[in-house]
Parts: sequence; C-alpha cells; structure tokens
Amino acid sequence: MSTFLHILWYKNLMFWKVPSQRDTGTLIRNLGSFVVFGSFAVGAYYFSHFLTGYLLEQVKIGQFLLHRFIGMLLFVFFVTINLGNMVVSFSTLYRTPEVQFLLTTPVSYLNIFVIKFLDNFFYSSGTLFMVGFSVLLGYGVYFDLPWHFYPVVMFGVLVPFMFLAACIAVTVLLLVMKLAAKINFRLLIAAVVLAYIGQVYLYFTVTSPVHLVREVMKYYPNVDLYFGALDPAGVRYLPNFWISEILYFYVNGNSAAVIGYTVLLIASTAGMFLITLAIAAGSYYDTWITSLSIKSLTMKALTLKDRFFSFGRASRLSPPVEVLLKKELWQFVREPMQWIHFVVMMGLLLIFLSSVSTLNIRLESAYLRAVVYLVIFIFNIFLINSLALRFAFPMVSLEGNAYWSLRSSPVPAETAYRIKFLLVMTILGVLSMVIALLSNVPYLFIHHVTGEKPWQVIRVVPSFQVRVLAYCSIIITPIITMTLVSLNFAFGAVYANYNERNPIRVASSQGATMTFLLSVVYLVYLLAVYYFAATMLFTAEVRKLPVDWTMLQIVMGAVIVPSVIITGVVHSLGLRSLRRDLS
Amino acid sequence: MIELRTLRKTFGQFTAVDDISLSIPSGEFFGFLGPNGAGKTTTIKMMTGLFTPTSGQILINGFDVVKQPQQAKATFGYIPDHPYLYDKLTGREFIYYMGGLYGMEKNDLRENVERVIDLLELAGWVDKKTEDYSQGMRQRVTFAAAFVHKPRTIIIDEPMVGLDPRSARIVKDSLVQQAKQGSSIFMSTHILEMAEELCDRIGIIHRSKIIFLDTKENLHLHTSKYDGNLESVFLELTKEQSE
Repeated sequence: MSTFLHILWYKNLMFWKVPSQRDTGTLIRNLGSFVVFGSFAVGAYYFSHFLTGYLLEQVKIGQFLLHRFIGMLLFVFFVTINLGNMVVSFSTLYRTPEVQFLLTTPVSYLNIFVIKFLDNFFYSSGTLFMVGFSVLLGYGVYFDLPWHFYPVVMFGVLVPFMFLAACIAVTVLLLVMKLAAKINFRLLIAAVVLAYIGQVYLYFTVTSPVHLVREVMKYYPNVDLYFGALDPAGVRYLPNFWISEILYFYVNGNSAAVIGYTVLLIASTAGMFLITLAIAAGSYYDTWITSLSIKSLTMKALTLKDRFFSFGRASRLSPPVEVLLKKELWQFVREPMQWIHFVVMMGLLLIFLSSVSTLNIRLESAYLRAVVYLVIFIFNIFLINSLALRFAFPMVSLEGNAYWSLRSSPVPAETAYRIKFLLVMTILGVLSMVIALLSNVPYLFIHHVTGEKPWQVIRVVPSFQVRVLAYCSIIITPIITMTLVSLNFAFGAVYANYNERNPIRVASSQGATMTFLLSVVYLVYLLAVYYFAATMLFTAEVRKLPVDWTMLQIVMGAVIVPSVIITGVVHSLGLRSLRRDLS
Repeated sequence: MIELRTLRKTFGQFTAVDDISLSIPSGEFFGFLGPNGAGKTTTIKMMTGLFTPTSGQILINGFDVVKQPQQAKATFGYIPDHPYLYDKLTGREFIYYMGGLYGMEKNDLRENVERVIDLLELAGWVDKKTEDYSQGMRQRVTFAAAFVHKPRTIIIDEPMVGLDPRSARIVKDSLVQQAKQGSSIFMSTHILEMAEELCDRIGIIHRSKIIFLDTKENLHLHTSKYDGNLESVFLELTKEQSE
C-alpha cells in the first residue's frame, strides 16, 4: 500500500508541474486551451438547459420519455466509454515504457496495474467529467433542483457509472489477453467486436424507441406520468436505466427510489472493481508477457502479405509520393493499436448504419420527426469527427523521431503534409459518403415498415420535401467531412508531439481534447443552422406546403461558406507549424 | 550474486538464448559482449523480469526472478540503454522516487541521494526537470537512481549511450566503486576497450550461445593467439562461428 501511495504522490507532483517551455506561443496556446475549455463548459450548460426545455415545452415529449431518451443516450455513452477504455487500456497497460520501467522495480504487479488503470481512467475521463458536470448543471437548473442534486449525481452517480464502464472494459481486455496466449488474437478481436455489435443491436431492438414514443403518446397530454410498465424487463438490469430512474425520481421528489438506485449503482461498481482486481492480480503480468508475442506475430503475419504495396514494386507515382504513401500504409497496418481501433470503430459504424437505414420513422409531429432526423444527422457528423480525431490528429505526431529523414531530404514540408492529409481525407471522405447515403435511405426510397400489429406491413413513400432534405444532407456531408478532417489534421500539426509514439495517447492529449471541443462548437453551429432546414421541410411535408428554396439556399450557404473558411485557416496554421518544426 | 542456470528463450521457432549458464559472485564485474542480435538484450530482459524464460532458472542474490520477482528486484539496480524518466520530475525528485519504490526510509534515503549526486557529479543540474536533460544527463541520473538503494547487483545494458568523455569517466569510476563495495555487476556493452578496462571476467554471446567465458587475467592467453587485444579475440571468435 505504501508503494502505491508513494507512486500516487509523485504522479500528483508531476500533474501540477508547469511545462519548462515558457515562450509567448506556448502561453497563447495554453490561454487558448483555457478559453476553449471554459467556453465549452458554458456552452454545454446552455445546450443542456435549452434542449431539456425544448423537448419538454416545444416537442412536448413529457418527463418519462425525456428520461428514457437520457437512458438510451447513456447506454451509447457507456458503450463508448467502455470501448474507448478498452482500446486506451491496451496501450496504457501493455505498451507504455512506464510499465516496462516499473516491471524492473520491486513494485508488485497488482500495484502497477492499479496505477496504470487509474491513470488511464482519469487521463481519458477528465474532459468527460467537465462536460458531464456542465450538462448536469443545465439540467438541474431547468428543473430547479436543490443544491445536493449536483454533488450526489456527479460523485454518486456519474463517476461510478463511468468507473463501472472502465472496470468492465479492463476486465474484458484482461480476459482477451489471457485467451490470446492460446487463441489467435485477431480472431478474439473479431469476436469482441461482434459481441459489442450484437449487444448494441439487441439493446435498441428490445427498447425500440419509436414503439415507446408511440405507446407513451397515446396518453397525451399526461406524458409526465411514470410508464414503468412499458420498460422491457431486461433493460432494468442496466446501469444506464438506473441513472434514468434516479434523474426521473429526483425531479419528481421520490427520495427512496433515488437512494435505492444510487446504492445499487455504487455497490455494482465496487463489486466490479473487486472482480477486476482479482483477475488482474492473477493474470496481469502473464498477459503483459503475452502482449509482447502478439506484437511480433502481428508484424510477421503482415510482412508476408505486402506484395501489392511493397516498396520494391514499381509505381506510376513520383518516388517521394510513392514512398510516403507506402510508409503511411505500413505504419498503420503493422501497428495493432491502429487497426484494432479502426476495426472497433467500423463495427460501431456498421451497427449504427444497419439500424438507421431500416429505421421505422412514422411519427405524427413534424417537430419530433425533425428532432429524430437531426439526431441522426449530427450523430453521423459526430462519428466522422471521432474517426478524424482518432486517425487524422495523430498523423503528424506519428512521424516521431524519424522526422530527421524528411528534414534532411529534398521533399518540401508541404508535400509531406499534403500526402498525409489526402490519404486520411480520401479514406474518411469515402466513409462519410457511405454513412450519409445509408443513413438517408429511409428518407429517399420507398420502403416497408411493420405497423402497430406485427403482421401489418405499411408502404412508406418519402415526400418530395423530405427527399430534398436528404439530398441536401448528402451534398453537405463531404464538405463538413473536409472541414472536420482538416481541423483535426491541422491541429494535430499545431499540437504535434514527436516524442509520443502511441497514437491513442496523441489522440487523447490536451491538444486533441481542445481540437475535439472546437469541432464540437462547429457541430453545434451546424445543428443550429440545419435545424431551420429540417423543421421547415418536415413542417412543409405535414402541412403540404411548397419548399422554401430561399431559406434552403441561405442554410446551405451558412453551412458551406464557414466550412470552407475554417478549412483554409486551419491548414495555413498547420502548415506554418510544420514548417517551423522542420526548419 | 547472479546465477543463470541452463537459461533458454524462444520466440516461436527462433531461439534467442540457448542454454546459457553463468555464475557471477559478489564483487565481480562481468562484461557481456556479443554482436547485434546475439541475445544480450533478451538475456538482460529475462534477468530483469521483462521476459519470462522458456526454460532454465535465474537467481539474483538467492531469489528466483520468476518465482520471487519482488524480492529479487529489491536487490538489484537496472540501467537500460534508453532509460525511462518522468519528464516533469527533476533529477533529484526522480532519485527520491526510485528510493521510495525500493522501500527506503526517508532519513536513509536523503543521505543516499546526496551520496549518489556527489558520486555521479550531478549537483549542477540535478534540480532541473528531466525534460530539459541531454541524453548523457539522463543516463547519469539513471545511474544515480539505480545506485541509491545500495543494490547488491547492478545490471547495465549499454552504459555509454550518449555519454561525452567526461561523463563516461564519471560513470566508469562509479561502477568500479560499486564493484569494490561488493556489488556484482553484469554489464552488456559493445565497447570492447571498456570491457577490457573494467571487467574482471568477460563472456561473449554469439547466435544465442556463450562462445567465450574467461577472466581478464587469462585474456592474454587468447589475445596472444590472435592480435594482442580483445577486439581481435571478439572479431575472430564471432567470425569463426559465423563461418
């Protein structure tokens, strides 16, 4: 225990140290970070306050549905934290030089595990805590909740919830690594991805949000009542459901229910943590040893298949472009942290697209239909942004200590910058088009959905107005993608850390967090602007009105012009930074 | 005291270390030489717990590294070729941190921190953050941190990486002093002159096997056979084996 506290004390000491570099540029960058973080916290507060009010007063969904939607969002949040922690933990527990260093000292394996686990949890959750508290504040102020709501929900609910997700993630990872000693690692990863896809698919099939809305709306205007009988039995065992209940009962003054669910959540988290520790105590070191052989196996397997992109193969591209492209490709596919994360994200994308492209969207209210459409639209963009942050942001940093080869070669900085950008832009551009097309399928084509009774099949013909909206979304998606990829890529150059070889740590650094917050500001702007187009077109559909083309042109202009300006500005910043680093 | 008993490490079909047996008593300075990829680093990684042996046993000061890892590690100090330092700590803080990891009491630690700072001549810059250090400064701080808990065994992988001549002299002197005080030293190096100058006994590993093991006193028997120095012995032996 004393060694554990000793390490924690020094970790704390390091956390509070000011960086040695104190030039004006660093000062401005730090001030900029502070302003962005602060603004984002304030923005999250207002957004949460506004959205709660909008859903209850404008869309009139009622308190029960509001909290069930919060529960569903929390499920997605839980899976995201879970997967995020699993991927980051792989790098923190098995790939960091610090673990290697600590393993040569008399610190016990369990202590090393706990230190790195906590390190990982707080490192990757810091921004989420801030955003979570701001959202909670906006929600609490809307309902005029008492002061104790904030500490109770923050520390008794939100933190245990996130910690539970992290514990489950690390436990799954330890088990995967344990099995990896006997079973092919890529097969195991595929099994985990499939299990997660199945779990998310099952959750949304069982909860069926559209069915729930239809059932609750039958009781309109008494939609603030508690409709617990509509909740499927299996969902009641999930932590996101408990939070949904805690918030609903807090708002409705049922203290006994709040305490009951809070105790259940804390006890489950503590229990899971103990299970994680027990598994780690027996297997962390063995799995660390296994991780070393995984690295060599991955590299060996991939070397055998490099015929098409091998460096010796002739190419029509100019030699610098060819070698830069091939280098990027091999750096990517031979790094397990890169391709594992990519596979996981593609799995999530697949679940999302399969559920969205077959969405049953027969809702009466134009507002509600607009909300559903905007949620899907913004989720698409968010997904693209997550991919850009994870894969575009670290690209410049990953050049790492090998930068001398570029610096001393006759290749200009601009060429290297453009090739890296074009590579990531092409991949994410194609992906974004697939996402935009598939998620708009129900809004473009005639399709059949099941009615109130399972045997009823209804033919749905999308109206002209809705098809216009879908086409607009498909047109602006590549432009938005270009902006987001540029933002992430260029800021990756501005905040380049050539000493960090771990792409996941680069993508969760302070610079990456700030970039993420900036892109969220851009997303909120898009949402606000696109809200006008969506409500106008759904209202036109319901009321059989013509499309207001002037308004649509203004909305498109308001999306395209700032996007192009942002792209230009961030690239000039990124290039300037790269030139400075290479000079 | 270090004992390697029929130590073997394989990676799939590849044998990195093949049946190595060695015994290094207290106070002996042992030089471990070999061409790149011969198995030096794998051996050191097994000794420090960063690899598990496929078969065989490693005893450090009587403790089995695999079965009693914490007890074994408490008795040795390790200096890797590319040391890991916490960027935000000063050199002094890092030495204190290392002392804490080895369970040293504060008063004893304070005294020993000053001792190693003097020994490695760090006083001029030890209170700067390690992120501002050159490779040589990082290396010297690592030596100090490895010595602070008075280890009975010191394991070193390529000690001279990035050291200027003055720093190299300081490090060499400090190692000789540790050996004189009774520590057994296991040093892997490419610098043959250094091995010749410092080591009591030398082992050469080539293609996973020990191909030469003898004392410095007996070295002249081999050097006279070849060209008069360790470099000739090394080149001839590794050449013979390659052929």
